[in-house]
Amino acid sequence: MPPNVVVEEMNWGPIAIVQYFQTLEIPFEKVVFLVALERPERQIGDINIYKWEGNLPSETQIQACIGDAATGVISVENLLVIGEFFNIWPKELYLLDIEPGPEMAGEHLSEDLKAKVPEILETLEYLALNGPRDKALVGVLRGDELFNKKENAS
Amino acid sequence: MCFKNLPIAFDEEGNAYLKEGINDPYEHKVVDLGLEQDKLKSLMEKNGFIRSVDYDPVTRVAGALAFHSIVDLEQKKVISTNSMATLFRGYEVILKGRDPRDAAYISSRACGVCGGVHATCSALAIEMALDIKPPPLGIVMRNILLAIEYLYDHPLHLFLLAGPDYSEELVKETNPELIEKAAHTKAKNKDVHGYETILDIMKDLNPLKGKLYLEALSMTRVAREAYVLIGGKYPHPQSVVPGGLSVTVDITVLNELYSRLVKFFDYSQKTTGIWDDVFDFFLESNPEYAKCGIRPATMMDTGVWDRPDAYDATYKNCDTWGEARWSTPGVLVDGEVVTTKLTQLNAGMEEFVEHSYYEKWDGHEFKTDPLGTPLSPNHPWNKETIPKPGKQSWRDRYSWDTSPTWDRMPMEAGAYSRMYITAKAKVAPDSKFLENTGHSMKIHVPRHTLPEKTLEWHIPEHWNAFERNRARAYCIPYSAMVAMDNWLLAMELLKQGKTKISTKFEIPKTGTHIGFGAWGAGRGFLTHHLVVEKGVIKNYQIITPSTLNAAPRTPWGVPGPYEEAVLNTPVLEKFDKPENYKGIDILRAIRSFDPCMPCTTHIMAKDSDHMITREVTTCACGIE
Repeated sequence: MPPNVVVEEMNWGPIAIVQYFQTLEIPFEKVVFLVALERPERQIGDINIYKWEGNLPSETQIQACIGDAATGVISVENLLVIGEFFNIWPKELYLLDIEPGPEMAGEHLSEDLKAKVPEILETLEYLALNGPRDKALVGVLRGDELFNKKENAS
Repeated sequence: MCFKNLPIAFDEEGNAYLKEGINDPYEHKVVDLGLEQDKLKSLMEKNGFIRSVDYDPVTRVAGALAFHSIVDLEQKKVISTNSMATLFRGYEVILKGRDPRDAAYISSRACGVCGGVHATCSALAIEMALDIKPPPLGIVMRNILLAIEYLYDHPLHLFLLAGPDYSEELVKETNPELIEKAAHTKAKNKDVHGYETILDIMKDLNPLKGKLYLEALSMTRVAREAYVLIGGKYPHPQSVVPGGLSVTVDITVLNELYSRLVKFFDYSQKTTGIWDDVFDFFLESNPEYAKCGIRPATMMDTGVWDRPDAYDATYKNCDTWGEARWSTPGVLVDGEVVTTKLTQLNAGMEEFVEHSYYEKWDGHEFKTDPLGTPLSPNHPWNKETIPKPGKQSWRDRYSWDTSPTWDRMPMEAGAYSRMYITAKAKVAPDSKFLENTGHSMKIHVPRHTLPEKTLEWHIPEHWNAFERNRARAYCIPYSAMVAMDNWLLAMELLKQGKTKISTKFEIPKTGTHIGFGAWGAGRGFLTHHLVVEKGVIKNYQIITPSTLNAAPRTPWGVPGPYEEAVLNTPVLEKFDKPENYKGIDILRAIRSFDPCMPCTTHIMAKDSDHMITREVTTCACGIE
């Protein structure tokens, strides 16, 4: 990676990440979060790219995100919303969202996922340096839509 | 004699024995909750103003808590309550059969805030079971680490979770009459916090935008920075091990720590000043607020912060090293201290599952503790966790939480219990910054940008939601000053070249070894009971503060602390029609305990290593 790119392990709670960004002397021009989340209807190693388009959910929902974050819940959705609320995100923020498959005991990746690591790293590098290869395949995430289902249900 | 209900007596030399001539000494009554439910059903059918008010989930608390209440909106009182933990905690099951050294790392995951206290409690249990005494620096640094963890937790509770209940935005909706009054009420502690009126404070308590809300968030960062200097990571420290800590401490680490700790000097003065002003305002505006969340001051605490010259990890000496702690272990019944001895605290503990989704276990392996004090078959060392998911019913079982008791009484827990028992008992050794008077705790806060000041927390006349939160505010200077006391000790140890921070140990491959860790969480009482057999964990039982506070009814029908506190809460909220009723008084009562359900309830790992499932029953609709 070129010297202007910082790679940071960020397996922290959303508040800690937001506070990290708040203290940066020179803000990042672009941020890519690499996340592994089990989602329905995906195969192990599936790669999805999302672009964060900002916008906020209701204040009640933001409060809930902050409350969860401060009490230990690690959630990428909460992170995106809290960061948006505190106005810390750069214009370009991507989520490289990998399907890890079902959660298993132990420290290691499954063989299936291990086999996909080179492709994941290549995609990550390209995304960080050049942006998405095919914009048509980039999903959109918006804070005012992230929790719609939950908010309507309650 | 401390026990009034358990069949334990003491001879003239203070040795405990089981009272003779009782057929089944640990027998207990089981009442039919169905009768009360029948009455309620009939009342609700006849009266439209008697309504079910359900909170599922209760918001602004950590984790999954649901609360069911039946409220008479005409008489403005609560007539029935049920507290429900809605997730299963599987740590007891997960830890069985593992190497005891795994316990600190695994049990730490029980909470996303207070992982450090779970890890420490686990380490203490192993130290007791396997006779491992940490070196002085290990003890002192552990004290600092956990004092700092509380400094994360207290502001979080006060300003992010409970605080918004007293904010301008919320009070305007539920009690608009107070807003006008707040605008004209001068704040008494302007010299420390800078606010002219109570309304000015309430505005800055507003969530998301209020300066106090945002400041608390930034103070949690200061605490986390200090914490990771010792723990390596927050919230799950990497360095807490049985026998001390696995970290190198030098003068640089202590200096880095100090630069964070001093920020809590002024913050202590500011926070106590703010909450004194806000709570005095509410209580003076309407004395009925004193009934919000009221219950007798019946609570217990394990005590925390060991003296390096007293702590030897043994059960034999635990009464001595327990009473030497900066905060005194003990039990308070209706405001009176009934014991400060860890052996008695331990012997009085039982856990019941009659109204919980667990099966009753058989067996009574440990009839006494290692000193011969009788133990109930319901004691944690004898308890087995056997989950039994089932239909939720107010008549029968309705929670994943158990019903823990001490001497057959439900007990409350909180950081405030730590301060209450310490102040009242007056057995904690003298300290540079703390003074216990029997009716108050004086906390000498050194100068930072504000001049030095002695803060004094007074044991209140009534134990209610406001006093819980007020006491929690005073726990900030209390924790900060214990950290300072220990920081000075650590400096002294380094000067003397006593840099050893942990003690090596081996896990014995034979025999049975038992121990219990007693170290309060940010929210109060926490115990880990451990049985090691042939080198692996045979039994592991965790009782957290919210296990105590969120408890369902005892088998004999006594409500748990949340349930009792809400039952006693008057409806002071203003509303024009029942549909607009928000239940702020009930929520204030519940939130004053700072519920933390992740450590009350957890995910169940099934027999297979690869499967994690959640057993969730949250909807209270239609439950009988």
